[in-house]
Amino acid sequence: MADPRRTDSAAVAETGMTVRLTEDVEWISECYPVGDRHLHVSLYLIRCPGGNIVVDSGSFYHRESIESRLTAATRGQGIQALILSHSDYPHSGNIPSFRREWGDFEIVASCADAGVQGLPYARRSRIGETLEVLGREFTFLDPPLADRSHTTWVYDRESRVMFVADGFGNYHETGTCRLTSSELAEEDRALGIRDFHAGALKWLRYVDPPKLSGQLRRLLEEHPVSFVAPIHGNPIAAANLERYLSMLEASVQEIADGYVVAEQSDRQSEESR
Amino acid sequence: MHREIEPGFYWIQECGPHREGIAEAVRGRGGTWCPPGRELHVPQNAYLLRGERSLLFDTLSPEGGELIIEELDRILAGASLDYLVVSHPDVPHAGNTARILRQYPEAQLVAPGEGDTHALYHLDQALKVVPGDELDLGGPIVRFHEATFLDAALHVWMTEERTRTLFPVDWLGFPHLDGECLRFVDELDVDIGIERLTEFHSRVLFWFQYVDVDKTRAEVEHLARKYRPSRIAPAHGLVIRNDIEHYFELMKDVVSRVAESGRVGVL
Repeated sequence: MADPRRTDSAAVAETGMTVRLTEDVEWISECYPVGDRHLHVSLYLIRCPGGNIVVDSGSFYHRESIESRLTAATRGQGIQALILSHSDYPHSGNIPSFRREWGDFEIVASCADAGVQGLPYARRSRIGETLEVLGREFTFLDPPLADRSHTTWVYDRESRVMFVADGFGNYHETGTCRLTSSELAEEDRALGIRDFHAGALKWLRYVDPPKLSGQLRRLLEEHPVSFVAPIHGNPIAAANLERYLSMLEASVQEIADGYVVAEQSDRQSEESR
Repeated sequence: MHREIEPGFYWIQECGPHREGIAEAVRGRGGTWCPPGRELHVPQNAYLLRGERSLLFDTLSPEGGELIIEELDRILAGASLDYLVVSHPDVPHAGNTARILRQYPEAQLVAPGEGDTHALYHLDQALKVVPGDELDLGGPIVRFHEATFLDAALHVWMTEERTRTLFPVDWLGFPHLDGECLRFVDELDVDIGIERLTEFHSRVLFWFQYVDVDKTRAEVEHLARKYRPSRIAPAHGLVIRNDIEHYFELMKDVVSRVAESGRVGVL
């Protein structure tokens, strides 16, 4: 007998509501215009026997579209759980609206103090632990590419999709909004990857690139992926991951090399005199 | 809870609950600055400056919603709030923006100008300030600066020029104990040592673990030279009035420690 989830997922993906990544993980792609390019502000839907889980909620900027897509994609069932990577508004902004629409579903969020983050009703996830959500196991990872203290990356152990919040993003050209890495011309992405990380993760100007790269690669080795699923970029299939990582590492090196601290610059000038 | 630091300069503090998890972690690592039986707070601070015009810097967390309105009402006593500055749209800093604007609808919302995603934070209608911009409050004069050490891209630091106060937002924060709330660092019986500063920064600026240590320490030296502040007013610590150079030196060592030992948790 065919898996009903698979049939449903494929049919929905064909209608354009979602983009299917794996058998039961779908990407709900939303975009925000930045100059003549776009920035994804997406979320992901996981269909499991215990119900529908979303990873992040998207931005209130896209509220109507997201709720409409989720309603259609779930055939009116809505969502039964939400896993939040962090409380930044473009990731968490629709939680109150989802709760009005679909009731008090379970919310799993990383933070030391849920009340301070405005999520008093959330179940806390801790970096390094694995939690069951609607019967499915998720591991919460310490994210090498993030800004907020309480951000976690979320590894779905069944699909092997790694949800990476603000990491692995890229600006993209119009017309490529709903494409995954295997459909994109990778050579055209380098600039979008560099510009995204330079703008979103400003601390990269201080980074020691080999340290960061080593940690990223260790994490990916320990958690083999089918897809890397960023909120602010096109999803990256395992087959294209090495190429993306090369572009990311080159970007990080360029960002770090491009920033010289005034104090060091002054000292170098004095030494050269 | 608020304290008037000097005439027209108010410090509003939300201490939140005892952070038992952090206290236990400190003691588990052999830290002695948080003895058993003491409460540990990681505060949210907002600062109100009043001259001919008034300005509030940050809004506290959603749990401090009633507190910030009560304190503003008490201090302003019917006068208007002219500017509401959001240092960055992070929940513990910006969580009461809408509530304050409902209470003080005439206030001009002020937001970091850099970046291009303001509409994703309801900041598209704000007055956007970039490094070098000033607001003359008819007494206090505030100037905006690049947020050097930060946890969000849309971010701004501020100084008050008359008192040479630096508002470094998430940098130079630290937990305090019960009985230390709203006290100046120079009023404490103990020193704020590197352990407290590292506890905070290894959680909040956890990315210090990936930095080029020399470069980042050089940036701290540069900040000390650039600002030469007389006072530090952090978003998550106590106000520092004396021996500022000492704290800049400690912050260089915090970078080294986090780079060597990694993060100890989240906040």
